[in-house]
Amino acid sequence: MLYPEIVIAGCGNFLFADDGFGPAVVEELRQLDLPDNVKAVDAGLGAPHFIFTLLDPAVTRKLIVVDTVDFGGEPGEIRSIPPEDLPPGCYRDAHSWDLTEPLLRLKDAMEIIVIGCQPRRVSAPELEIGLSDEVSAAIPRAVKEILAHIGVDYGTTLENLRKEEHQREAGGKTCGRGWCGEEG
Amino acid sequence: MSKIVEISPTTRHEGHSKLVLKVDDAGIVERGDWLSITPVRGVEKLAIGKTMDQVPKIASRVCGICPIAHTLAGIESMEGSIRCEIPKDAKLLRYILQAANRLHSIALHNILILPDFYLPGTDTKINPFSPQEPVRSVAKRIQRLREIGQTIGEIAGGEAVHPSNPRVGGMYKACTKQAVTKMYDLAKEGLVLAHEQMDFMVAVLNNMKKRDWVEVGGKQIPLPKTLGYHNQGYMAAHPMYGSSNLDECPGWDPNRWTDVRPWDWYMGEGEVSLADPSYPIGGTSPVGTKVNPQMEACTGVPLYDGAPVEVGPRARLVRFKNFDEKGTWGQHIARQLEYTDCLYTIINALDEYNPNGKVLADHIPQGDGSLGWAANEAPRGTDVHLAKVKDGRVLYYEMLVPTTWNFPTCSRALTGAPWQVAEMVVRGYDPCVSCATHMIVIDEEKRVIAQKLIQ
Repeated sequence: MLYPEIVIAGCGNFLFADDGFGPAVVEELRQLDLPDNVKAVDAGLGAPHFIFTLLDPAVTRKLIVVDTVDFGGEPGEIRSIPPEDLPPGCYRDAHSWDLTEPLLRLKDAMEIIVIGCQPRRVSAPELEIGLSDEVSAAIPRAVKEILAHIGVDYGTTLENLRKEEHQREAGGKTCGRGWCGEEG
Repeated sequence: MSKIVEISPTTRHEGHSKLVLKVDDAGIVERGDWLSITPVRGVEKLAIGKTMDQVPKIASRVCGICPIAHTLAGIESMEGSIRCEIPKDAKLLRYILQAANRLHSIALHNILILPDFYLPGTDTKINPFSPQEPVRSVAKRIQRLREIGQTIGEIAGGEAVHPSNPRVGGMYKACTKQAVTKMYDLAKEGLVLAHEQMDFMVAVLNNMKKRDWVEVGGKQIPLPKTLGYHNQGYMAAHPMYGSSNLDECPGWDPNRWTDVRPWDWYMGEGEVSLADPSYPIGGTSPVGTKVNPQMEACTGVPLYDGAPVEVGPRARLVRFKNFDEKGTWGQHIARQLEYTDCLYTIINALDEYNPNGKVLADHIPQGDGSLGWAANEAPRGTDVHLAKVKDGRVLYYEMLVPTTWNFPTCSRALTGAPWQVAEMVVRGYDPCVSCATHMIVIDEEKRVIAQKLIQ
């Protein structure tokens, strides 16, 4: 199966400074032990034609798109954007027809989460390699957010420690690393 | 008196480009200019001083749709410069990756062009999204072919979008016996589908050849029998894979290549004097819009033997298989004929491939600064990368991407066609005009909606 139940697509181009945020997050995610039903893809500039139009809604239930988004916030700020609020053309399949947005086409068939990071600097059309400090610092926060969305808990987050304490009090088991399966 | 029409941007292809057309009173193109309006980024300059392993990775990012061609051409131009021969099994894996990528690309292009065409024997245009037969099964078949191409590419190349397996000196990892079996099974399934799909597309194209008119923006536009004809030459380095300076008989010659600047080639300043608001997707540019292709074109004009050439599937078939159909329909037919070639290439390479074989050269020289080049036959045509590597660092790097070769050739092929069908000629080239960046800009009103997650 090319794309499993949960797909994380890191979009953007590292040749344009902070535009490389998406692929950088995916690189970070790949160093973690992700469940078998999750695939993190460095989509580069190819997400619409290589991923969004190839997803099978019968298999893929959740799509997490990680990208640089200028929503007028502070550099490095992370927000989630509902797919219907994306401006026209942002994920226009370069190989699309009638300017249909492939994400809008998918949004009723699967859960779509767009995690956007406010860039400090996108150098296009000039080439510049390297994320700004603010955007670089946002990577772990984005990773944490994604892990929460896919229900992976490595047992090290503050929330988890709190949960652990809470569970101990209640006499339950501690919540270690595990796959919680958010869908069910 | 001739009038100027501008179609900007052109649609259903990758990147940003536009058409500036000088037409006569009957709307027939006298001179057409098709040009890229994506700013040139100068990857060549950025490459200087980087290591030979970094540069192909950078090159693969200049385009959203051709990362495989750029990765392979980039790596092989480095290998050409340092004079590094790679093991046979590594070469076979690259062949498989190349053919799988082309398979996906042809199938994707099918979806793009189908809305221009009619169901044979009817006046109904094909909507690839239609839930009705026969279109539904065709769309499903196309999707399956794309999946097969991408899955085989992912197995051989390491990743489905930006291949991580190829490297200077060969490949990082060999494919296991199980992986080979999986690719083989997929290729066999794909071969049957590719035959069916090729037959369907050829039937649709042959039907189109017989038509006298086509509907564009609610009007019947006459269709010339010579749509897309040009008298330029063809350039192809290899029927399937590519060539480099390490080959015994190289398929490309850097001494035959020259470059001219856009202002030596394109039309000068002008003003739009003909507009049609009913033209699909927002109409053409309004009357009075200033145009200046000379200054707006973002790419140089590469010439081979002093003239523009066509690259792509037809060029490969003309050069290597005596194909002789001209025009836009011939170009589309050539592309469909490559469907099965891709799968036979994969199957043959898998037959030859030894999963226990070596995939990395024993010795990787660091280079003495001599020129190396690789001409990869990307889905859209010859993608030439030239490099000079010394002590592992890149001294010189140049990319001549397929559509850059096709811009001036296609511009000539527009002459004689009604301007409304000019985009159909452009789509015959399956253009890839690199997209610049991917940042999303949310407008003012939407800012509030974007939910604040983490501070």
